[in-house]
Amino acid sequence: MAARRLLLAYALVAPVVIWRLSTSVYPFLRTFYLSFFDNSPVRRSFDYVGLANYVAMTKDSNVTESLSFTVFFAVVSVLLQITLGLGIAELLNQHFHLRTLVRTINLLPWAVAPIVTGAAAVWAFNQDYGLVNDIIWRISGHRPLWLVNVTSARFAVTLTDTWKNTPFLAVIFLSGLQGIPSEIYEAAKIDGSNGLRSYWYITLPLLMPLIVSMAIFITIFRVLSFEIVYALTGGGPGSSTSLLSYVVYLQGFRVLNFGYASAVAMLLFFIVLVIGVLGFGLLRRAWNRL
Amino acid sequence: MNTYRLRRLVGNILFYLLLGIFVIVIILPIYYIFLTAFTSGDKLFTKPLSYLPQTFAIDRFRAVFAGLPILRYMFNTVFLASVSTVLAIAVSLLAAYALARLQFPGANAILVGLLASSMLPGSATVIPLFQMYQRLQLMDTLHGLLLLYGSGLLPVTVWVLVSFLRQVPIEIEDAAKVDGAGFFAMMWNIILPVIRPGLATMFLINFIAGWNEFFIPLVFARGPAAKVITMALSEAQMIGSSSQFHADWGNMAAVAILATIPVFIITFLFQRQIVEGITNGVFK
Repeated sequence: MAARRLLLAYALVAPVVIWRLSTSVYPFLRTFYLSFFDNSPVRRSFDYVGLANYVAMTKDSNVTESLSFTVFFAVVSVLLQITLGLGIAELLNQHFHLRTLVRTINLLPWAVAPIVTGAAAVWAFNQDYGLVNDIIWRISGHRPLWLVNVTSARFAVTLTDTWKNTPFLAVIFLSGLQGIPSEIYEAAKIDGSNGLRSYWYITLPLLMPLIVSMAIFITIFRVLSFEIVYALTGGGPGSSTSLLSYVVYLQGFRVLNFGYASAVAMLLFFIVLVIGVLGFGLLRRAWNRL
Repeated sequence: MNTYRLRRLVGNILFYLLLGIFVIVIILPIYYIFLTAFTSGDKLFTKPLSYLPQTFAIDRFRAVFAGLPILRYMFNTVFLASVSTVLAIAVSLLAAYALARLQFPGANAILVGLLASSMLPGSATVIPLFQMYQRLQLMDTLHGLLLLYGSGLLPVTVWVLVSFLRQVPIEIEDAAKVDGAGFFAMMWNIILPVIRPGLATMFLINFIAGWNEFFIPLVFARGPAAKVITMALSEAQMIGSSSQFHADWGNMAAVAILATIPVFIITFLFQRQIVEGITNGVFK
């Protein structure tokens, strides 16, 4: 009986395990292996080169600039999206007419494909005929250049990403707010605390584990993102808005430099791993504070 | 008393002002894509922009349908998004049952391993997969793409289903066993009806994610046989020679609408379930 039960258990998990091993775990190990090779179908090469690909990365401005934009993108996105996400969640948590409709509208950017968002953003950030500059021009009389300057192009990518992804965060935070029992606020009211004070001393601390874990996820997703950069800037100007996954794509599928692209992919993996480990350490501390 | 009323009034005005700004920031870009798609070419490039519809031209859509195999792309998109989701949920349900109900050595390792494998970035697996797919002749095939679409869904799906199954009281299964129902009959007749709302929610979320997928088909679908609607965006720019210097925004907007309307309809119809699905994925 026990043996039959065991057999059933393994038979049930087998499809998922085999599916994941063949399409995720094995290819990942193979990427690690390839990163030590000069492997290119163009050069018809498959030669062991040791750490040469990793050494080459340190001198590759595509990689170093991608790293610098990754830091910008992650930090600005976390700050913007957490703040706005908390604000929107607070708005959507109030009682007002058509609340359900507004909550549905909030979901629309989440539902739009990232690649559609990126493509539409090219049009929106167009200097002469774009939506963004039209509004800025109506207010200030200026038409700033967005996609040709480093800093403004970086903000264009970050703002597009913020439009697309903050609503998702607002949904999470709203559900966090709804999980706080109203008795806590009533008790605080009796103690003479209200509004901003109770938000600062009650709501924020209670949401803190959720905020920290979302900050980790936002950071990791920014490090991994691809579509908006692919569609909006193509990494430019120069490589100033490039991200590592975009470098992997270019090196792997435009230049067909499989070995080098694998090394960049391993760097990407390593960064995600470090953020994950550090982040979840931070999360444990946030939980312990509660 | 008066200052109290005044503060409430100011608070209300501020609230509706912020709410208004929020709704406009979300709606205006979407509205503008619609406007662009239905504006005829010569009316498109105006300074300042016109925010009211000037024309109701459907020649963009006509051009897009004439120039690209849009229906084929749409079919591929629906097929990949729905079948990959159903397949992933089906095999995940089997695994989740074993992991939630049958104590067996290695169960925890599998759960943790699945979660860890979900952290592996797509970029860190795509190159060997590409080589593998070329060797196995899975490039440009729907079944090849199906395997990759489904794979990404498995870890979270298994985790959420395990947490669903742990909430199903074990007594109802015991009743079925007394009846002598076989394993699959028990799954179908007892477990499935109980967790059906949860499954529907997961289907919706994963369907939308599959519909919006771009990176996988970009690498693995190079011919029209397996291409999807998100790939038609850049192709739409190429058709029609109405403007050589400006990429053809109208055609692109038309494709953007075709790629977006279905997910918007789903979002409006199933707002509650989608929110539930999003939060399930995070809190469980």
